[in-house]
Amino acid sequence: MSVLEILNNKAKLNPQKVAFPEGTNEKIMQAAYECGKEGTIIPVLVGNREELKQLAIERGYDASVFTFVDLQDEAYQNELIQKYVSLPNTLLKEKALHRRLSDPLNFALVMEAVDEAAATFAGIDTTTGDVLFSAQQIIGMKPGISNISSIGLCDIPNYEGSEGSLLAITDSAVATNPTAEELANIAISACDTMEALLDWEPRCAMISYSTLGSGQGELVDKVAQAVKIANEKRPDLAIDGEFQLDAAIKPEVAAKKVKKASKVAGRANILVWSNLDVGNVAVKLIQTFGKANAYGPMLQGFNKVVCDCSRGAPVAEIKGNIVISALRAAGAKHHG
Amino acid sequence: MTREALENKVLECVAVTFRKTIDELSVNTDFKADLGGASILMVGLASLIENELDVLIPLPTVATCKSVKDLVDKVEAEL
Repeated sequence: MSVLEILNNKAKLNPQKVAFPEGTNEKIMQAAYECGKEGTIIPVLVGNREELKQLAIERGYDASVFTFVDLQDEAYQNELIQKYVSLPNTLLKEKALHRRLSDPLNFALVMEAVDEAAATFAGIDTTTGDVLFSAQQIIGMKPGISNISSIGLCDIPNYEGSEGSLLAITDSAVATNPTAEELANIAISACDTMEALLDWEPRCAMISYSTLGSGQGELVDKVAQAVKIANEKRPDLAIDGEFQLDAAIKPEVAAKKVKKASKVAGRANILVWSNLDVGNVAVKLIQTFGKANAYGPMLQGFNKVVCDCSRGAPVAEIKGNIVISALRAAGAKHHG
Repeated sequence: MTREALENKVLECVAVTFRKTIDELSVNTDFKADLGGASILMVGLASLIENELDVLIPLPTVATCKSVKDLVDKVEAEL
């Protein structure tokens, strides 16, 4: 069974409401419809109700699969505003929020913030910057986390790691040159993401060219410092390093190079790159030479699940990312 | 609102956001060099200004402001 089949089956057990502020987009509507029809999510299209309904019918879809939410529905707007402003630690007050609700992306994010939707899926017609800024303002960041990052799930043929052919890697897309504090946040977010998505027991390795002091220099110092910060912030998580890649994922190498007790060494299921140079090169190496399928990038660090979809993504890829978003949302509710 | 009153109001918002006292800040304060300029705090600042002054400065615009004076200019242009 492929990873996507496993994820689809899991999503069908507890389908989540996913809000789509770009429902007029043909690819988004198709992907949302197919996911809804297959029972992996409950698709909620946010915008002009009549326009969306008409488009769905014209495109040959059974409109009953969708829930339509109209931006102009004043009673619902007021309900959302009242719920939102009563939440703790939100950044926007009533008037500012009301102004936001004329925009479908912001409307969807407010719905998610007040639990009217489990996740928001956008980015096909909206820039990444707009999605990130709006999400930071309306959804906010996870307590203790101050930076956004991304994580990818790789399915690598012939790789036999601690999760079979699967390996999570972060960050290959967002954080350019994270500080030690930011790198620690990335590791913590990654552990929470993978626990929510696949019920993994996260074992997170902070990757470097050095294993526990075998090399010296400021790059090594940053990673070692990040491990220390992460362990202080979240002692409940297995985050360890600094490790070279082989010491992180190969038990026989870990046995030689890592002389201390470690839950992570040799059996890591999450790898944290030290910066985006490493992350970008690494994911392309895995895809090119390892022939891996890479899913994501999934955004992490927000209080709730927000997905920024790639503009050029085909429908199949969009569907995969919708299901991943829904599963993360369901998992976050379950794991708390 | 006079320019001076606006500057004071924006400085108050900056002080709250970055946990500084007004005395530690001026219109020449540089967000990145003097305050660290963490993007998440700039999001908070944009929200606070919108709440307090009822003016929407898009976050990408706030992010381009190098100093408090630049931000005051953007707010003034929208008032």
